[in-house]
Amino acid sequence: MTSGYLDRYGRVQSLCHRLPAHIQFLLAVGMVVTGLSIPVELWPVQVFLICVVFAGHTLAHVPMSYLFRRLSLFLPMMLLLSISLPFSQGFERGWEMMVAILFRSTLAFLTMLWLVNVMPFDQLLITLRRFWVPEVLIALLSFMYRYIFVLWDELDKMRVARRARSFGQGRTIHQWKVSAQLIGMLLIRSMERAERVHSAMCARGWDGHVRKLDSTPNTDA
Amino acid sequence: MHIADGVLSPEVCIAAGALSLSVVGYSLHKMKSSLGDRTVPLTGMMSALIFAGQMVNFPLLGAPISGHLIGGVLAASVLGPWAGCVAITLVLVVQCVLFADGGILTLGANVLNMAVIGSIGGYGILSITRRLLGRGRFGTIVGAVFASWLTVMAAAALFCLEFRMSWLNSDFQFQNIFTWMVTVHSAIGIGEALITGFAVSFILSQRPDLLHSSEKPAGAVGTFSRALAAGVVVALAVAAFLAPFASDFPDGLEAVAERAGFNELAAEPKILVLDDYKVPIAMHGWQKVSVSLAGIGGTGVVLIIGLLLGRTIKPQAANAEVRE
Repeated sequence: MTSGYLDRYGRVQSLCHRLPAHIQFLLAVGMVVTGLSIPVELWPVQVFLICVVFAGHTLAHVPMSYLFRRLSLFLPMMLLLSISLPFSQGFERGWEMMVAILFRSTLAFLTMLWLVNVMPFDQLLITLRRFWVPEVLIALLSFMYRYIFVLWDELDKMRVARRARSFGQGRTIHQWKVSAQLIGMLLIRSMERAERVHSAMCARGWDGHVRKLDSTPNTDA
Repeated sequence: MHIADGVLSPEVCIAAGALSLSVVGYSLHKMKSSLGDRTVPLTGMMSALIFAGQMVNFPLLGAPISGHLIGGVLAASVLGPWAGCVAITLVLVVQCVLFADGGILTLGANVLNMAVIGSIGGYGILSITRRLLGRGRFGTIVGAVFASWLTVMAAAALFCLEFRMSWLNSDFQFQNIFTWMVTVHSAIGIGEALITGFAVSFILSQRPDLLHSSEKPAGAVGTFSRALAAGVVVALAVAAFLAPFASDFPDGLEAVAERAGFNELAAEPKILVLDDYKVPIAMHGWQKVSVSLAGIGGTGVVLIIGLLLGRTIKPQAANAEVRE
């Protein structure tokens, strides 16, 4: 798996992509907060905001098929979770809460999808640094992002090996055991890898402090 | 499992965010002092691992859905409570900003429910169980299984609290939602407990040195903070079990909210109390039975799982000792 899988539409050129990263971030958060603070009675406003977000997706060249695929996974989940409300809270009141939650969460979900697709991960790290997130966390995030793909590949190899040994035949509890052992094996391997990486980092002068090497235009210079 | 935006009110999001911000900040501080320059590779790798590990699906018999690992206790049992908490927090952040999985405003609540409770609280339970059952394989596995199940339950209970605080001005029926959440999560917790138990027992048989032992840096981790974290989780769990019995009284939260003087509640406190009493007695009885059954059944199943896992491992341990 490559980073193209995650940042699929992050490198497309469009009006939305050209916005500075912190503006994109503030726009998205502002939209989510606005959506949250609108009362249920004003549902047409919610619908309007959802249309605005859809327009934003169109501007950012995000294909509708992708949006609907993500929504088709998200909406049934939310529906399943919120369907209990009319039964547990009294029908009228619970129905109102359910509709409010569905509208708000759909709006927020679409907005976050927009942000995800408009802002590549390196831009996100730079933005986080701008919002005074501690240096260690940024370093951890970039390290994590670097190794997610490595570990996914490793996991894929182990899955293939497992399938080659006719996994899937046993009882459910046996499948669970094998799957959990897969995670355990991955953990052992990745911790060993972390030790090796640490030695390599030490050999290159790592002392626990992160040296910045980003593409932000230095305003002081 | 992730709370989406729109479920909780902004006030609750801010409160939960502030709480988890301070805990994660403290964890960062503790983590740096205990791991030193190994912080970044070890914790970053652990986050990536939990992230990748969640891609492993666990088939559910006869259901079209499948479950996956949450990983708080697993991370804590290898890295210790503080680094484990930071690792899970990073997983949640990346899931939020890369997959739009879980809301951005509810990130604080998600971190509180899964990273803080899951990792710090889970570690507290794990170390208490190990103290009671011994530090060998048996105690560790039973502890991991028990901690995973309890943290999932505690997270569900905490979510109910957050949800209830978000809808203060409605005639909210706390018990119903609580029954629903606790019943569902006692099943989810068994899955998490099984996965964590199998994974920990596998690690114990291959590389037991990888597991975090609280004994080496004796004073460094601090008995006090461990006891505190464990106390919080145990209290939540006890609340989860005792709440159905205590809830014949008008719900404690309402009393607190009333005293705190929330406008809407203060305006019409009597209606709220009355509404609670309107619930038919039969319903009350049923709920109590179902919640307690879920609790007792879950605890029993989890204990049996733990004991069985411990039993299958034990002979090997004995052999190893003989060989030495």
